[in-house]
Amino acid sequence: MKKFAWIVFLLPSILFGQITHPNNGVADSKPEYYAIRNVKVIVSPTETIDKATILVKNGRIEEVGKFVMIPKGIVEYDYSGKTILPAFIDLNASIGMPELKSTPYSFRPQMGSKTPGSYYWNESIHPEFSAGKEYVVSTDDNKKYREMGFGAVLTHLNDGVAQGSGAFVLLENDVYQSVLHSKMATFYSFDKGISKQDYPSSQMGSIALIRQAFYDAEWYKNAKDQTVDLSLESLNENWDLPKFFSVEENYEVFRAKKIADEFKTEFVFLGAGDEYAIAKDLKDLKAKVVVSLNFPNAYDVHDPYVSRQIPLTQLQKWELAPYNAKYLADFSVPFCLSANGVKSSDDFWKNVKKMMETGVKQEDVLAALTINPAKWMGIDKDFGTIEKGKIANFTVYDNNPFESKSQVLEAWVKGIAYEINSKQEIDIRGKYNLVIDGKSVPIEIKGTVAKPEGTVVLNPNERDKKTDCFIELSNNDVVIQFSSDNSNWQGSVNLKGKFNSRMAIFEGSGQLPNGKWVIWSGIRNDRPEKDEPKKKFEVGELKPLVTFPMGAYGNEKRPSSQKILINNATVWTNGSNGKMEKSSVLIANGKIAQVGRNLSSDGAQVIDGTGMHITPGIIDEHSHIAISKGVNEGGQTVTAEVSIADVVDPSDINIYRQLSGGVTAAQLLHGSANAIGGQSALIKLKWGETPEGMLITNAPKFIKCALGENVKQANWGDFNTVRFPQTRMGVEQVFYDGFTRAREYEKQKETGNYRKDLELEILLEILKSERFITCHSYVQSEINMLMHVADSMGFKVNTFTHILEGYKVADKMAAHGAGGSTFADWWAYKFEVKDAIPYNAAMMQEQGVVVAINSDDAEMGRRLNQEAAKTVKYGGLSEEDALKLVTLNPAKLLRLDDRMGSIENGKDADVVLWSDHPLSVNARAEITIVDGIIYFDRKSQNEIHERDNAERARILSKMLEANKKGEKKEGFIKKGNKHFHCNTMGEEGTENENQH
Amino acid sequence: MNKTILTLLIGFGFSSLSFHAQKEQKSILFINAHLHKGNGEVMQGAAVGIVGSKIELIKSSVSDKQKVEDWDTIIDLKNQHMYPGLVAPNSTLGLTEVDAVRSTRDFDEVGTFNPHIRALIAYNVESEIIATVRSNGVLISQITPRGGVITGTSSVMHLDGWNWEDAAIREDDGVHVNWPDFFRPNRGAVSAADEDKRKESYESKKKEIRRFFTESKAYSESKKITKTDLRYAAMKDCFEGSKRVFFHANELQQLLDIIDFSKEFGLKFPVIIGGYDAYLILPQLRDSKIPVMLPRVHSLPESENDPVDLPYRLPQLLKEGEVKFCLQNEGDMEAMNARNIAFLAGHTTGYGLTEEEALRAITLSSCEILGIDQEYGSIEVGKQATFFVSKGPALDMRTNEVLMGMMDGKWINLNDRQKDLYKKYSNKYENQPKMTKEKK
Repeated sequence: MKKFAWIVFLLPSILFGQITHPNNGVADSKPEYYAIRNVKVIVSPTETIDKATILVKNGRIEEVGKFVMIPKGIVEYDYSGKTILPAFIDLNASIGMPELKSTPYSFRPQMGSKTPGSYYWNESIHPEFSAGKEYVVSTDDNKKYREMGFGAVLTHLNDGVAQGSGAFVLLENDVYQSVLHSKMATFYSFDKGISKQDYPSSQMGSIALIRQAFYDAEWYKNAKDQTVDLSLESLNENWDLPKFFSVEENYEVFRAKKIADEFKTEFVFLGAGDEYAIAKDLKDLKAKVVVSLNFPNAYDVHDPYVSRQIPLTQLQKWELAPYNAKYLADFSVPFCLSANGVKSSDDFWKNVKKMMETGVKQEDVLAALTINPAKWMGIDKDFGTIEKGKIANFTVYDNNPFESKSQVLEAWVKGIAYEINSKQEIDIRGKYNLVIDGKSVPIEIKGTVAKPEGTVVLNPNERDKKTDCFIELSNNDVVIQFSSDNSNWQGSVNLKGKFNSRMAIFEGSGQLPNGKWVIWSGIRNDRPEKDEPKKKFEVGELKPLVTFPMGAYGNEKRPSSQKILINNATVWTNGSNGKMEKSSVLIANGKIAQVGRNLSSDGAQVIDGTGMHITPGIIDEHSHIAISKGVNEGGQTVTAEVSIADVVDPSDINIYRQLSGGVTAAQLLHGSANAIGGQSALIKLKWGETPEGMLITNAPKFIKCALGENVKQANWGDFNTVRFPQTRMGVEQVFYDGFTRAREYEKQKETGNYRKDLELEILLEILKSERFITCHSYVQSEINMLMHVADSMGFKVNTFTHILEGYKVADKMAAHGAGGSTFADWWAYKFEVKDAIPYNAAMMQEQGVVVAINSDDAEMGRRLNQEAAKTVKYGGLSEEDALKLVTLNPAKLLRLDDRMGSIENGKDADVVLWSDHPLSVNARAEITIVDGIIYFDRKSQNEIHERDNAERARILSKMLEANKKGEKKEGFIKKGNKHFHCNTMGEEGTENENQH
Repeated sequence: MNKTILTLLIGFGFSSLSFHAQKEQKSILFINAHLHKGNGEVMQGAAVGIVGSKIELIKSSVSDKQKVEDWDTIIDLKNQHMYPGLVAPNSTLGLTEVDAVRSTRDFDEVGTFNPHIRALIAYNVESEIIATVRSNGVLISQITPRGGVITGTSSVMHLDGWNWEDAAIREDDGVHVNWPDFFRPNRGAVSAADEDKRKESYESKKKEIRRFFTESKAYSESKKITKTDLRYAAMKDCFEGSKRVFFHANELQQLLDIIDFSKEFGLKFPVIIGGYDAYLILPQLRDSKIPVMLPRVHSLPESENDPVDLPYRLPQLLKEGEVKFCLQNEGDMEAMNARNIAFLAGHTTGYGLTEEEALRAITLSSCEILGIDQEYGSIEVGKQATFFVSKGPALDMRTNEVLMGMMDGKWINLNDRQKDLYKKYSNKYENQPKMTKEKK
């Protein structure tokens, strides 16, 4: 809060009544002084005054309280029975903004920006956009928001990565009276929006782009002889405004927070609706969230063959959306509420009700809609409560809307009342005897005050036979019509008249079926029955299961490390002890404590391993699971600035599936769509951890490079022939160019006068051997080439991955010191793997290369032990050596062999208990332990599956109820198994394969 | 003396005997084999006698002493395992060479209803992929086209031969139908998020298939055909029963619809390829006698909710439900991956099948479903001599090492380009001084 507090001083003090624009006609003399009497005023979340009076003068509240003197000569309203709330404030609105027009799709790549003018090089960075400058009044949007109870919003253009500044506007239909602050905050997201520029094509690209833009702005402040960049100028100019960050899923909060920390600033998060899953983390991060009231629709689940396919995650998203605020409130995470995306006031109040039924307190809801946003924006001097001196923004309801179903009657914006639903003051309900043309007709009027309904008795002998009659009421004008078939009249009797409420009588004239005009009247015999007290919102008992992660097989709490003793198994140590029969492994504090026979359990959980095998956890040197929104930043040939570590997705079900195959750690690599791709994430498969918690601490730094067909876009169709390079010859020069630029950058850096370049920083790390290359490669010419590049630049290629022709140059690789991480037997999927042979791993090993077998495939990742076993068949490796290909050797290639890859005292307790010989075709991983924590236990798998099934059934029946009640629903769209491969472009995985 | 007792050299080769269609031997007796018959039976120390192209004798080498003089050649298989040739049904083997190179892909024809398209004639016997598959013991494959609703007609082929004509075991064995996707009837395009529209669209796709079958059935029963229609004509044998109809489908709704559809048209040999959800309707499948070629064992569960090992367990579930099944390998890189079909079967032994049941799922069961079990699929007297010998258990990666094999009594070539490259570069290293690793 402190950060934004000084905004108050920036805001001009808002004075009304003086206008600068000319008026057509004589000066308007609207009354600007009102008194509202006898009304219940909810002043603030914590204060309510019954039968209060509010004085409004010139758009501000002059006085509010129980005993207020009403000056003479002002307009007075008696609002008895009604409730007044402070008008709501939405910090996440996009009203009155220009329409987004995207350029038409082209098959050809778009490398540069198409924005005319002296702006930033990337179309999705447009901080210069000013909502204040572009704001046009949208009367429809204003009306919609006022109907929900809002009085002012912070509006912005929701497009792009750096979206520009937002304006604070009143929901006032006169544009000259609307904009209170033209630049109140700036807005960001990871979504490049309508930009068709190639870069960024992934979330990690967006992350790098924001960071680079921020660094550029910092540099631009003092840059000399620099041409104008209006975007950077705006970034600097608006830097101190509050910053909002719009997220599409909860993990993006962590990603944005990291950027905020780097630049010593703060983001307020415009939430995605699933923040409940990280509520505690949000508290720890001290994050503030604008929670969406736009809840997802239910699926149409009437067909069980369809509903059985809906993933638990999707069902939970629907059920938990209304609980979002509840979880945040429980963890004291400060939040505001937003109606962004909500279609109507009916939906808005329905969703508020749903939210309150989860147990969020009224004061929290009201605060989140009023005083919280006002305080966050530093405008609580003028907004957020109904207090003396504040701007007269409030809303009149027929009841307290937080307690029962109510109607919005009026919205007062800056002291001007907008009528929303007319107030029917006069209550005509009761029993009457109408006298029409001298004949008596008993009538009973029921229904509501606003919509009365009536019945008449036409035959005095049959008092029970009631005929419906039509009643229309507008103030005290009433129309009554009924059809008669008695002896008096045959046909329609149409009456119109006025109701005198003091006397409780009708008087008027009407027409009989025969066309005769007559006088009619009626006197009330009985008062209307009292309204039934309105039902208060009920708080549901149940708080649904939140797991880590959400969805199938989630942990009910984040598991912690245990002391475990596995007894009497065959232990493949990969160390000096080799394979130890009938031995035990003791695990404590996440480490291997002891290996040997007859170990004392000493309070440890004991697992009988008789007849079973223990190996170090499998390490997948090349994996693309657990990555959010894009594995390739293919927008440019060199994208060293992006990092997979920025976009780790701990909720990918493939993490759990791979644990079931004994995988405990993996290198998540950038794809191979460009020559110098992105930085790697080295993770442990800690299912349910935070993105940061998945990363291996103090891991060595790695980066992906790539050669060959993918880099030169050989299989990308006939349109992708523009980006350099298109040949292997060009690929070499990309590397020389990159590293040469990095060297020059280093010199520039030494002068102290330089622009921080995230890409060159990383290339420099490679040159300094602070970061290691894993290079996608296939044919011997290019393998040779890269080793030459490295030699001449003074570094080593750490690992060649794929390296299917490694067997041809294994001697050279060994001499250079490069390792090889390959497939056991893949080939024939593209031309450059024509000479791939399954003997490759064994042959490289024979020549002294450190060799690993990797997956590059979510499916194969579950059975890397079997893939390793193929090297026994092809090339005759010993079984112990074969096992090392997926354990110790990848640890070496990742420079983690001091902590992983073998079962030796002091190493990380990443171990797998196998049902059988780990290389045999029928071996199952029974238990997988990561850092001393059991993350997979085949025995409990069924139990968890049943828990999930029960949870699915429960939510499905709830959803079916919602279907039956007629709530909005949509058809379920089944998505196939989507995965990232080396060559997958864009933010979505692909169902197509052959891309490695 | 034309009697020889061969002592086999381990390694790849057996190259003295590896060439196509070698001149037929009169008779060969294999003795002391660890025989896996393929029908579920195992026999230690078996003697298997081959005369011409047929298996003429199976006896115990131990209890029944064979007369050496009766046989032209005697081969001692002590400690070695003998298996019927493995079968890879539903494959594009021989129709594709390099997946990413369009000019080498010959399996997807233009058109929606293509029963007249015959995979057989595009089958490239010299495919380098085939050689690597054959040398892992896979000797028979059903070569199957892809694409469209009716993709075309498959044929069951030998994985060796001079040309497609002499490689054919069963020409035009069946027509393949891609049953419309229940969730995405318009293939590829994601349907509108409207349950009713999606259903409507699925129904209309089903109607198109029904119409085609109705019309082609009428055509095939018609006595007076005035205008020839190659598509309808190609369907004729399906109704008569000499061609099978293979329905490719996975979803519950699809499978139930296929059962009804097969009954409606009185199809004699409907087969489901895929059948991921088959385990949910075992009694219906058993009663309607529709066999299932299960999805690739090495595939991921369809949904996050499914048990992580469901694809591994499907064979066991179908076995328990008494539904006839075999394994196939359709999917990513299926041609080159056909060589791993033994290991797909092997994997199921960790999930409920015995080794011999797993073997049956890639030999005899496959041949029964393909309709060639009278001659192929198991090592039994009277069947074709199509088998291979492995150094150890062939369903495990470590011990699958094919030493020799026969197809219809002819020795098969076990060499392939990958072995050539292995030898070539091994020689390179053997003949050069070893380079020492530079100090880091």
